[in-house]
Amino acid sequence: MITGTGITKTFKQRGGVLGAREVPALRGVDFAIAKGGAVSFIGESGSGKTTLGRIIAGLESHDAGEIVIDGVPMSSLSHRRRQPYFRRIQLIHQDPYSALNPTRTIHQTLEAPLRLRARQTGRPRSWADQRAEELLAMVGIDPGYVLPRYPHQLSGGMRQRVVIARALTMDPEVLVADEAVSMIDVSLRLGILALLKDLRERLDVGVLFITHDIATARYIGDDGELYVLYRGQVVERGATEKIIADPVHPYTQSLLSAIPVLHGLERPGAERVVPREMQREGEPDAGCLFARRCPFGTERCANEMPVLERGPDAEQEYACFHPRRRSVIPVGVGE
Amino acid sequence: MTAHTAAHDTAAPETPAAAPGVRIRDLTVVYKTPAGELPAVRGVDLTLAPGTITGVVGESGSGKSTLALSLLNAVQPPGRIAAGSVEIDGLGDVLTLRGEDLRRARGRQVGYVFQAAQNSLNPLKTIGKQLLDLGRSHDVDDLRALVRDAKDLLARMGMDGARVLDSYQHELSGGMRQRVGIMLALVLNAKVVVLDEPTTALDMITQATILRIIREVHEERALTTLVITHDVGAVAEVADSLAVMYGGRVVEHGPVTEVLGDARHPYTQGLIRAIPRLTGDLSLARALPGRPPTLGTLPGRGCVFRERCERRMEVCETDEPMAVNRDGRTVACHAADRHLSLVKRKEFV
Repeated sequence: MITGTGITKTFKQRGGVLGAREVPALRGVDFAIAKGGAVSFIGESGSGKTTLGRIIAGLESHDAGEIVIDGVPMSSLSHRRRQPYFRRIQLIHQDPYSALNPTRTIHQTLEAPLRLRARQTGRPRSWADQRAEELLAMVGIDPGYVLPRYPHQLSGGMRQRVVIARALTMDPEVLVADEAVSMIDVSLRLGILALLKDLRERLDVGVLFITHDIATARYIGDDGELYVLYRGQVVERGATEKIIADPVHPYTQSLLSAIPVLHGLERPGAERVVPREMQREGEPDAGCLFARRCPFGTERCANEMPVLERGPDAEQEYACFHPRRRSVIPVGVGE
Repeated sequence: MTAHTAAHDTAAPETPAAAPGVRIRDLTVVYKTPAGELPAVRGVDLTLAPGTITGVVGESGSGKSTLALSLLNAVQPPGRIAAGSVEIDGLGDVLTLRGEDLRRARGRQVGYVFQAAQNSLNPLKTIGKQLLDLGRSHDVDDLRALVRDAKDLLARMGMDGARVLDSYQHELSGGMRQRVGIMLALVLNAKVVVLDEPTTALDMITQATILRIIREVHEERALTTLVITHDVGAVAEVADSLAVMYGGRVVEHGPVTEVLGDARHPYTQGLIRAIPRLTGDLSLARALPGRPPTLGTLPGRGCVFRERCERRMEVCETDEPMAVNRDGRTVACHAADRHLSLVKRKEFV
């Protein structure tokens, strides 16, 4: 179990025409990822979702807040003593083309961390080779074919499976998948998503799925939980299926409305929400962060910042003064 | 979409000239490889009706970008256009143009946004300087008007035009550069516009906005537009017709609602089933088995899709299915043919 409370991070931008300025990347985010669970962070670029993923994987520091891994607050440990905890959280990169060393065969790529793992767990060296084959089989590729090959000899989908196998060498509790399918051919994406779902069930590994495409979040498990991030704040949170079916925050509704309608198969939702403006960099922080773009913003929204609160439905939280259900998602023509 | 109708209200005072039609006939483009010349695009027939948006959907290696480059006669070695013609109304067969004529046609008559447009800008010049270079190289008389048009296009895409023109590419985010690329393709008022992966690196809301603007500008200026993408979703909403490419062939083509609503080629069907959707049964969606072919793994004969096809028959191993046109829809599949003829027979019983 990994929990975070009040995670805050501010980037300082140097130089530029405006001189140095501070960009809040995360504004006090709370989250929890259970063993074997599925949590998705959804948002556009600048939402802080990638930064949060990197903080959770121990690759980035945060300014305030606490991360607790298996009951141990990370702030109580020295940098060195934290490492074994963060090793339980493995990051899967977006780009399977640059995540693997091009001069090493897949066998060499998997061998190094597995030897380390063998030493840590007191297993013989021969265990590493056997485990490499097991892991590749587990991610759905033929070890005999893949092991002697170099990354450039493999397709994007296969490479991403190798990257996942490498993450599994450390017996992680949580896989952090940051846009893990966005660079994969469309016909193969569901295969990678199904693999993540399958790993949850077989290994009881948690998946933290970071994406800008809400639809993909459904496919790592219908028991998943969704966090919608906007400019470093969680603006809506709840069960994935619930948030997709009944979004109440206008930003969530905008994200869902932006998903293209497959004409011929679907009709657009009756109340699609289009933001009034596009996102701008370096916006001032007055009131609700989404107020300027929100089609339903009021004076209160411009002056006061809403906090994440539980709605009437206990399983849904949102940060909005004017929450309202709207039918924004496409409706199947046959339904 | 309300934006469509709004576009008509703000139409320019003079009626724009009629949009040109584009007819690609029997186009074959080969690439030189150690294994000899292999076809990236083979025997493609595709008509872009005047004033329409055609989406071309295909995975990596389907030949979609090579097809797009052919519209500019811009296939680079080791590639070579081996056969066919690309007729554009008012311009003739682009594949016969050479030298200065070809250079003028590019940009003036055929606007083009390259794949990864965000990486195709000159890092040493401001965007404004590059815009002026573009204008001068195409003998634009009124450069002020060109800058005005550019600022207007940028503003519509949510950017501060003056600031963007004063910027170097490294000062812009990926999404901003992408929009700059789209502006540069539209600003010379080309009547045929080719957009290769125009929204690939963009967020959902930005993608939706850009697609809406592409549609608006397309209608205002009476363009004929070709959008190349790997993502059906990126064209499903803006395109009038949809062509599906696989292994260098157009395997299905027709009105977008019909191709999506009643796909006939097994590849199109599989592709649609593989799209992550917001609604519907999760268990019905699944990835296509196998993987897309590369130049080297394309079968020498028979159907290009047969390795991944669940309706494969004996004839698919040996005979390439012909593209059959029926009721404005084109499908190249032995199984679809049979399916159709069965349906037909039933109707006549």
